[in-house]
Amino acid sequence: MICPLLNNANAAQRERLLDYTAGRLDGPEKEIIGRHLETCPDCTAFQIEQMAVWDALDLWTPAPVSLDFNRRLWQRIDAAATAPWYKRFAESLRFANWKPVVPLTAAILLIAAGFAFDHPGRKSALPGMTIKEADQVEQTLDDIDLLHQLDGVAVPPAAASKTM
Amino acid sequence: MTAKLSMLQGVNTIGGTARVLDRALDLDAQLMLRVRDGDEQSFAVLLEKHRNPVIHFVFRMVQDRAIAEELSQEVFLRVYRSRGTYEPTAKFTTWLFRIATHLALNWLRDGRNERAHQRLDAPRDSQKDGELPVREVSDRTPSVEQHMVYQTRLQEIRDAIGSLPEKQRAAVLMHKYEEMEYSQIAHVLECSESAVKSLLFRAYESLRASLAYMVTGATK
Repeated sequence: MICPLLNNANAAQRERLLDYTAGRLDGPEKEIIGRHLETCPDCTAFQIEQMAVWDALDLWTPAPVSLDFNRRLWQRIDAAATAPWYKRFAESLRFANWKPVVPLTAAILLIAAGFAFDHPGRKSALPGMTIKEADQVEQTLDDIDLLHQLDGVAVPPAAASKTM
Repeated sequence: MTAKLSMLQGVNTIGGTARVLDRALDLDAQLMLRVRDGDEQSFAVLLEKHRNPVIHFVFRMVQDRAIAEELSQEVFLRVYRSRGTYEPTAKFTTWLFRIATHLALNWLRDGRNERAHQRLDAPRDSQKDGELPVREVSDRTPSVEQHMVYQTRLQEIRDAIGSLPEKQRAAVLMHKYEEMEYSQIAHVLECSESAVKSLLFRAYESLRASLAYMVTGATK
């Protein structure tokens, strides 16, 4: 049976055990965990494994830094001080993360294109026709429609029954 | 600490008690305030003090020496550029590592890491600009066999760290190598302290599964 301290549902206690192993625990909590470790083989095994991980990580020592690091940095600082604003702006975007920008831009373009197709604005729908001509055609069609409606209203009820 | 600083900053603004703030600030923040006032020598001091930790952290994040130095240059360049607007609302190192983490994560997420990497232990093509040759970490290892075992282990450590999700990786590196407090890591990663603890526990869980055998001698 695994110690309840290492149970997934007991996150706070597990983290305290990690803190204890890292030497980051003080006061009564440290004493309690210490006493528990004396009698619990599961937690002792956890502690040994965790310390092994930290020992392994200690093996990874990075290489020394280039000797001209500072010189290159000061050169860049001097260059940035005299560069025009657009170059400084471009430089500030050098390490920006562009990945999320691509789908966002594509989505905006798509919406804009859809909007342009749905709302052509003052442009004529028919190729080769001017806006004025299109307006005239629309006006004529409206007039015809209105005349049809008036014709329907103008027919007297008697005439209407005759026709039936 | 951060809350204390913010509070004190408020006192400073309202009451003009600059000396109280000065005493409460960490040395780095005081140096940065001097940089803000135009003292370049203070920036040189900050650079000398934090250069290696930043480069090493970024290197362990991106696992590429040249890129790590390039990104670290960008970190210090950004620190210098924003000197005019600097306000010591948090510890200087927190701010510094926030910039470093941001740049490293951006680089990782942008897929620029898909290019061929130049490894730390790989010899550099040229030793220009008075650069020292890359130090072989295992110089004192006498036998070829031991050297090979060491290199294999090193590669396994790198792979184990590299296989962690980005935030977990950053949290482990700050916790293990920079010995930063949970509150600081939380500030850097812009999450809560409990989230940091959870990230760390999960990260170490993965690392225990892949690395613990190295010392215990147990098989994977």
